[in-house]
Amino acid sequence: MEYALYIASVIGAIALTMMMPRRGHTPRTLGALLGAATLGGLWLFLAPVATTEGAAMTYYYVFSGLAIAGAAGVVTHPRPIYSALWFIIVVLASAGLFLVMEAEFMAVAMVIIYGGAILVTYVFVIMLATQSGDPRQAEDAPTYDRVAREPVPAVAAGFLLLAVLLTVAFDTDRIKPNPNTRGLTADQIINGSKTLGLERILSDRPDARLAKRIGADHTIRMPLHNVERVGLDLFRGHPLGLELAGVILLVALIGAVVFARTPIDPGDE
Amino acid sequence: MPTPFEPLQDAALSHFLMTGAVLFALGLAGFLCRRNLIIMFLSTELMFQGVAISLVAFSRLHGNDTGQTFVIFVLTIAAAEAALALGLVVLLFRRKRTLDCEAWAAMKG
Repeated sequence: MEYALYIASVIGAIALTMMMPRRGHTPRTLGALLGAATLGGLWLFLAPVATTEGAAMTYYYVFSGLAIAGAAGVVTHPRPIYSALWFIIVVLASAGLFLVMEAEFMAVAMVIIYGGAILVTYVFVIMLATQSGDPRQAEDAPTYDRVAREPVPAVAAGFLLLAVLLTVAFDTDRIKPNPNTRGLTADQIINGSKTLGLERILSDRPDARLAKRIGADHTIRMPLHNVERVGLDLFRGHPLGLELAGVILLVALIGAVVFARTPIDPGDE
Repeated sequence: MPTPFEPLQDAALSHFLMTGAVLFALGLAGFLCRRNLIIMFLSTELMFQGVAISLVAFSRLHGNDTGQTFVIFVLTIAAAEAALALGLVVLLFRRKRTLDCEAWAAMKG
């Protein structure tokens, strides 16, 4: 099985090298087809290993294929604005992967923060810092966009790392659920925090209120939602990290304002 | 009561880790060989995405939400990095009117 992973890594590296922008003719379509065939072949080879119930795996293949195709588009497209658009595909597809893994909060946060905030910043900067020219004419792009620097060693480094990571990821003897790291269950959290008023908050959840209104038994504990579990873990397990994240964001905000206000004399070296 | 959190099966976990690893490798290759500063930073965001997918997959495997909490912190750092890096990129562009990272090779020292 390791050999299949190695072979797929090598062919994938060749495909990505073909797609990298270069002087003269770039066989982008051929590289993309080769990469897609490699990924599909690897998945077919690994299909007997995948034992999860059908639907989740189907969604996995769709979103994962989109994410990988988008990533290839980001790193190989000669126009920065199209790279940014491909990156939106990657963000949406990985949000879909989070939904497959039932991490709903992370999926929504990913779309809002990456798709909504970070990508908009990138698009603004691309518009501010790109020479004018017809975006449909590839020849108008500056040289540093049309020619990649040393694509072969760079792709080799990336895919060497990929081969190593895949070998570890598919060594299923080594990756096992560790019972010692299992998080708290809903009952443990609730029983351990009666003094903190969590019980009252949980009885005020929409489903508990609905149960109260229709006269059903509202003391039955529904499982905690993903949002509730992540929130509990964040605020009860990592309060210091949360404060530090706030400080980091504030420092970055001040730093960005300082950068933006720095006066520049254009000819100044 | 059904357990709220079924652990992911090992084989499915390997597939999610593969997606994360591929995104990371593509981001690394892009960072090393593209010359446009903006695309280099987009490649680092790709690497962040790969790490986030791996973290959520492990969080699902172990039934522990701390992995997802870590993704929130990764998003924080990514947002701070994007703000600062793009501010720097605009500053560098105003100084030399180019986004070519090799225009700043003098900073190699």
